[in-house]
Amino acid sequence: MRIDVENLVLRYGDTTAVDGLTFNLAGDKIYGLLGRSGSGKTSLLSVLAAFRRESAGSVRVNGQPVFENADVTRDIIMIRDGGETVKIGTAEDAVYFAEWLRPNWDGDYARSLMDRFELRPKAKVSEMSKGQQSAMGVVIGLASRAPLTIFDESYLGMDVPSRYAFYEAILADYMLHPRTIILSAHLIEEISSLLEEVVIIDRGRLVVHEETETLLSRGRAVTGPADRVDAFTSGFTVLGTRQLGPTKSTMVYGDLDQDQRRQAVEAGLELEPIAMQDLFVHLTGGPR
Amino acid sequence: MRFPRRLLAANLYIALGLWAALATIVALIVVGVAIFGQVTESAWEKGSLAPRWYALFVGVGLITTFLPMYVAHGQTRRRFGVHAAITVTLMAPAVAAMITLGYLAERGIYHLVGWEQKLTRPHLFTEPTQLHLLFLEHLLELLTWMAAGTLIGAGFYRWQAGGLLTIPVGVGLVVLTQSAIGTELDLPIVDRVLRPDTPQPLGLVIGAGLLSFLIGLALAWTVVRDVPLQNKVS
Repeated sequence: MRIDVENLVLRYGDTTAVDGLTFNLAGDKIYGLLGRSGSGKTSLLSVLAAFRRESAGSVRVNGQPVFENADVTRDIIMIRDGGETVKIGTAEDAVYFAEWLRPNWDGDYARSLMDRFELRPKAKVSEMSKGQQSAMGVVIGLASRAPLTIFDESYLGMDVPSRYAFYEAILADYMLHPRTIILSAHLIEEISSLLEEVVIIDRGRLVVHEETETLLSRGRAVTGPADRVDAFTSGFTVLGTRQLGPTKSTMVYGDLDQDQRRQAVEAGLELEPIAMQDLFVHLTGGPR
Repeated sequence: MRFPRRLLAANLYIALGLWAALATIVALIVVGVAIFGQVTESAWEKGSLAPRWYALFVGVGLITTFLPMYVAHGQTRRRFGVHAAITVTLMAPAVAAMITLGYLAERGIYHLVGWEQKLTRPHLFTEPTQLHLLFLEHLLELLTWMAAGTLIGAGFYRWQAGGLLTIPVGVGLVVLTQSAIGTELDLPIVDRVLRPDTPQPLGLVIGAGLLSFLIGLALAWTVVRDVPLQNKVS
């Protein structure tokens, strides 16, 4: 599903959570929405999922406005910490309503996911552990097979094996049933391999919207003798440095052309990719 | 538009369970009174005061639990509003029928044992055998309490503590209906000020009950028609 966000503004009283955001997503990819705490991620997604109305600007999905538009919203699901779709009784109650309200619901898939996450149908969701509640949200989110599926920090409380099972399930289901999936998460390194495009926002504004490969290619760790590393990186934006004896490794941000790559090799320097998390820290202004 | 059968079924399922629990409790109390004293009046009349509070929480729960679920499942608030209205409209007669059934069952048991099913409170009906009036009184009462619940639930969901301001409005709706019915209010504080004890003409009673119900639902709708789902800001 194509998503067009145009000059989007969302205010809570005097607080502006989303401040003139504009971007477009072509759809049918797995997108990552990254941002620091309070950056406006949940607010943006809430407007996308018709959980709330925008203060100004517009959000269109497949060219249509979203808020109170049943033709669009029936194809959207957002799973988040609030547990709207699951905290209505037992796990099987959540499934009972999901299969009734979701046009593309896959009951067999839901049961297989519940088995995978070891969720008991008769268990009351509000009495489950935080991780199990999140897993229940994942079950509803994936088995709904909504053309626009949004997971907002949906892994909270899940242990590492469960999170990995979640990521595997997303990828496997996406391969079988391609659709637009938006993942909002703080655990950037864990999800970065899933993402085809990344949208980073900060203080309610767009910082970058790139294909993941392109974004990652902007960051490089330059490693070698300290004096040569310093000389090579002098014109770049430096994200951080580490030094062990005479060897130094400096993380830089910016495009490297063919000449610069050749110069690095000739100088005996190694160019290595850096983690998306390091890029994210840089792009969102470093530690606060 | 689809009929809200699952929303209705889920609520009816709970209502049946609570009715069975209430009937059991009332029966145990009657047995206790019979063992240690003498049964001289209808126990179900007192037990049937509880369902109105259940009705209030049905209204509250519709807004605080099912509205967010509907929206999160891609349904519009408009569709939820229609489904909630249908659910309340059908839940009230179903619960009123359960209460009526309780009076019937009590009558049968009392008759067998030789006790008198005496009423001690003012009602639309003067005898428990007037089933149509018995049903009507509870129907109007439940419709009003459910509508008041949706309004109060909507107020708290939208404005949190500010929802307190909807309580007097909800109480006003209940007072309007129950004053027309002429039953005791059994509301904290309010029943010290208002003590209606005379049923009004039947047409006025029905009109007041339906008016309260419709006002409650209409006000609740104005609160939730564009209500944002609550969220943590991140």
